[in-house]
Amino acid sequence: MSALSVVAAALQVVGVLAVAPLVVGGMRQVRARLEGRAGGGIGQPWRDLRKQLRKQQITPTGTTLVFALAPAVLAGSTLLIAAIVPIIALGSPLDPVADLFGVVGLLFLGTVALTLAGLDTGTAFGGMGSSREITIAALVEPTILLAVFALSVPGHSANLAAIVSGTARNPGQVLTPGSLLALVALVIVIIAEAGRLPVDNPTTHLELTMIHEAMVLEYAGPKLALVEWASAMRLTVMLALIANLFLPWGIAGAHPTVFAVLLGIVAVTVKVVALASLLAAGEVFIAKLRLFRVPELLAGSFLLALLAVTASYFLAAAPV
Amino acid sequence: MTQTTYAGLLDLAAGAFLLTAVLIVWRRELRAIVRLLAWQGMALAAIPLVEGIYQGDRAIVTVGVIVLVLKALVLPILLGRVVGTEDQERRESTPLVNTTASLLITAGLTVMAYAVTRPIIALDPTEATRAVPAAFAVILIAVFVMVSRRRALSQAVGFLMLDNGIAATGFLITAGVPLIVELGASLDALFAVLVLGVLTGRMRRAFGDTDLDQLRELRD
Amino acid sequence: MNILLMVPILAPLVAALLAALLGWRRLTASVTVLAALSVLVSASAIGLRIGSGAQFGVWRVLRADALSITMLIVIGTVGTLATWASVGYINAELAQGHTNRKGANLYGVLVPVFLSAMALAVLANNIGVMWVAIEATTVATAFLVGHRRTRPALEATWKYVVICSVGIALAFLGTVLLYFASLHAGASSETALDFDVLLHYAPQLDPAVTRLAAGLLLLGYGAKAGLVPFHTWLADAHSQSPAPVSALMSGVLLSVAFSALLRMKSIIDLALGTGFMRTGLLIAGLLTVLIAASLLVVQTDFKRMLAYSSMENMGLVAVAAAAGTELAIAALLLHVLAHGIGKALVFLAAGQLQAAHDSTAIGDVTGVLARSRLIGTSFAVGLVILLGLPPFAMFASELSISRAMAGAHLEWALGLALLLMVVAFAALVRNGARMLLGSPDPGSPAIVVPRSVGGALVTGVILSLALGLAAGPFPLLFHNAATALGAPR
Repeated sequence: MSALSVVAAALQVVGVLAVAPLVVGGMRQVRARLEGRAGGGIGQPWRDLRKQLRKQQITPTGTTLVFALAPAVLAGSTLLIAAIVPIIALGSPLDPVADLFGVVGLLFLGTVALTLAGLDTGTAFGGMGSSREITIAALVEPTILLAVFALSVPGHSANLAAIVSGTARNPGQVLTPGSLLALVALVIVIIAEAGRLPVDNPTTHLELTMIHEAMVLEYAGPKLALVEWASAMRLTVMLALIANLFLPWGIAGAHPTVFAVLLGIVAVTVKVVALASLLAAGEVFIAKLRLFRVPELLAGSFLLALLAVTASYFLAAAPV
Repeated sequence: MTQTTYAGLLDLAAGAFLLTAVLIVWRRELRAIVRLLAWQGMALAAIPLVEGIYQGDRAIVTVGVIVLVLKALVLPILLGRVVGTEDQERRESTPLVNTTASLLITAGLTVMAYAVTRPIIALDPTEATRAVPAAFAVILIAVFVMVSRRRALSQAVGFLMLDNGIAATGFLITAGVPLIVELGASLDALFAVLVLGVLTGRMRRAFGDTDLDQLRELRD
Repeated sequence: MNILLMVPILAPLVAALLAALLGWRRLTASVTVLAALSVLVSASAIGLRIGSGAQFGVWRVLRADALSITMLIVIGTVGTLATWASVGYINAELAQGHTNRKGANLYGVLVPVFLSAMALAVLANNIGVMWVAIEATTVATAFLVGHRRTRPALEATWKYVVICSVGIALAFLGTVLLYFASLHAGASSETALDFDVLLHYAPQLDPAVTRLAAGLLLLGYGAKAGLVPFHTWLADAHSQSPAPVSALMSGVLLSVAFSALLRMKSIIDLALGTGFMRTGLLIAGLLTVLIAASLLVVQTDFKRMLAYSSMENMGLVAVAAAAGTELAIAALLLHVLAHGIGKALVFLAAGQLQAAHDSTAIGDVTGVLARSRLIGTSFAVGLVILLGLPPFAMFASELSISRAMAGAHLEWALGLALLLMVVAFAALVRNGARMLLGSPDPGSPAIVVPRSVGGALVTGVILSLALGLAAGPFPLLFHNAATALGAPR
C-alpha cells in the first residue's frame, strides 16, 4: 500500500461525506422531473442539512444514551464502510479487514443502532418502525452475505478488493448465472436496506406506512441532520459497492498513480449517478408493497441469492 | 463458438430456466405464470440450439426449433386461451402453502436436486451435465407446484413445467433422446394439454369455477 | 412376419378410423369387436411361430417374445369381451339418455385407439416407444373415463389425467437416465434404447445412475399399474367409467403397465443385482395390498369395491414379481390372464346393475340372483374367480405364487399378503352375499340385459372355466415368458 492509496482511502471517506446528499438530491430531482414537477434542485438536501444543523438540539424526556448515540454510531459505521470498501481504489490501508463479513456486520451495526433508538423513544410509532425495520433486516442480512459470497466463489476469497480485481481481470464472469442472480438479489437488498420504494416510501407523511421514518420521528435539529446524512451515505456506499462489484472498470489498482486515482473518482461518480438515476426512475413506476408482502419479496431475493451460490459453485465455467 | 462461450451460454440457459421456475412459484396470477411458462420454453429450447450449433449437428438444432415452437408458442397460447375465458378468477386463490414458505421450500428443493444428481455428473463430467442439477431442480419444483396449488390451470402449468424439466434433463445429459421418442413425447405433452384444457372447460360448466377444492365428492 | 406383428396395432386403428368416419353404429362396433378378435388370433399365430425365442420386426422397432404374446392374449381376450358388450351397453346408454350421439361416437373411436396403444406398448422393442404407447393410453382413456359427463366423472377424469401424467413423466425421466447410462456403457445412440441392446449392456450400466433410473421407473410405471404411492386415481377412474371401459382398464391396462415394469426389472436386475427391485416391489406391493384391503372393508359402492379388488391383485402381482423366480413370473402371468377375464366378467355384470338401478351403491342392490339368472350367475362367478376359489384359474395362480415366494425365502411377505387377502376375501364375500343372495327388495327395477352383453358374459364364464380346468398351452407360454425375462429357476 502506497501513500497514494492512503490518500485515495481518505478521499473515499471525504467524497462520500460530500457527495451523499447530492446523490439523494439527484434522485429526488429525477423523480420530480419524471413526474412533471420542477423539483427543488440537486443541492436541496445540503440546504436542508444546513438548516437543521443550525437548529437547537432537543432531546425527548425519558430517552437514554442509546437515543443520543445512535446517529453517531450510524454515521460512524457508514464512514468506516466507506473507508473499507473499494470505491475509488483497491488496496486501502484497511484492506486486511475489508472482507464480506466485516462490511455486513458494520451495516447491521448501523441498522441495530437506529432500531434501538426508535425503541428508546417509548412512542408507539417508534416501536412500530423498529419492529418493521428489524423484520426486514433479518431477511436482508443473510441475503447480502449469500449474494456477495456467490460473487466470491470464482476468486476463492471473501475479500472485497480481491472480488473486484477478479471481476476487473475477467469481465465475462459477470455474465454467469451466479453473478446475475446475485445482482438481482443485491438490487432488491439495497432497495430494502436503504428504505426506497417498493419496500418503504421515503417521502411519505403517513406514519402508519413508515418504516425508516417512523424510527426517526423524534429526532430534530443536528441529530436529525446526522441521521439523514448517514442514511444518504449508506445509500451512496451501497450503490458504489454494487457498481464496483459488477462494473469494476475505472477503479484504481492497489498501487495507483495520481491519474489512476482521478480516473477512479470520475468512474465511480459516473457509475453511482447512473445507478441512482435508474433507481429513481424505477421508483416512479412502482407502488409501495403492502407490508405483509415485503417478506415475500425478501424471501424471494434470499432464494435468488441461494441459487446464485449454488449456481456459482456447480456451474463453474471451464478454466481458461 | 469456443468452449468457454458454449459453457457460458449453456449455463445461462440453464440458469434462466431455473429462474423462471422460481418465478412461477413466486407469482400467483394465472396470466403471469402462463407468460413465465413461455419464457421457460424459450430457455429450454436454447439448450438444444446451443448444443446443436456447438457440435454442428443439424438434427439437434431441428429438435431445438421444434421445442421452441411447441413449448414457447403453441402450448402457452393454448393455455392462455383457456385462462382468457376465466374473467374474475385471474388471481390464484391463496395457495395451500403461502408464498414465503413456498420460496424457502423451493430453496430446499434446489439443494436436494444438487445432491441427488451427483452420480450423473460423476459419470460424465462435461459442461452440459454440470447444468443438470438446474433441470432436476425444476422437476422437483414442478411437483411442488402441482401439489400446492388450488386452481386447475395452475396444476396444468405445473405439469408443463415438469415436462419442460424432464426435456431439459434429456437434452443436457444426452443431447436428446432419439428423434422418434422426442416427437412422441412432445405429441403426448400436446395432447395432455389439450385434454386438460377441455377438462377445465367442462369443469367450469359443471362446477361454476375451476377451484380444485371443489372436487371432493369421490372419497372413501 | 412383419405384417403379422403389425396386425395387433393396425387392426384396431383401422376400426377407429372407420368409427371416426361413420360414427357409432352396428357396423363400426362390430368392426371393433373383429379388430379385438384379430389381436387375439394374430397373437396366437405369432406365438405358434416363435416358440420360446424372440422375433423382431419392422426394422427392429417391434419385438415379439413369449411375454408380448401373453399380454397380447390378455388384451385380445378381454378386449373382445369388452367391445362385444359395448355394442349393447352403449345402445342402452343412448336409449336411456345417459349419453348423446357425440359421446357415443367419441367412445367408438377412443376404445380401439386404446386397444392399439396397449398392443404397441407390449410389442415395442424400444423402451422409448413403449413409453410413448403407455402415455397414449392415458390420453386415449381420459375422455373414456369422463364419458358420462357427470360431476364425479369429471373429478375422476381430472385426478386420473393429472396423477397418471405425473407418474408417466417420472417414468420418462427414468427412461432418459437409462438411455444416458446405456450410452456410457457403450451402446450406439440409435439402438441404446432397444430392449435387447439394453439387456446386452446391462452389466456395464453405471450403478448409481441406474439406481436413480430404477426408482423413477418403479414410481412412474407403478403409477399406471395402480401401485402405492400413486394409486389414488384408481378407484375413482375405474368406478366412474362405463362398465366395458372399467373392464378394459382394470383387466388389461394395469397389467400392461406392470408388464412394462417387468421388462425394466429384467434390465435393472442385470445391472444392480436383484436386491434393489425386489425391495422396491415388495414395499410397493405390500403397501398396495394393505391399502386396498383396508379400503375394501369400508366400501359402500360396488364399482369402487371392484376397483380396489383390482388394486389388491396388482399388489399381489408386484409381490410375486419381487420373488422373481421362473415359477413366480409364470404364476403371475396366469394370475394376470385369469384376473383379466374374471374382472371383465364382474364389471360387465356390474354395469348392467348400474344401468338398472341408476346407482352403484351396494345398499341399493339386493337379491340379484333371484331377479336375473344371467346377471346373478355371472356376477357370482366373477366374484368366485376374484376370491381365488377352485375350479377357476386364480386358485392355481395364487397357489403357485405362494410356492414361488416360499421358494424365494419371502415367507414373511407371503404371510402378510395372505393375511390381507383374507381381509379382502371377507369384505368381498360380505358385499357379494348382500347383493346376490336373499329375496329382492320390493320395487327393485327389472334388470334388462342387452344381447351382446349377455353373449359376452356367457363367453366370459365359459373361458374362465376352461382356463381353470384345462391349462392348455399356457404353462409352456408362461414359462417361456419367464425365461425371456431372464428369471432364475
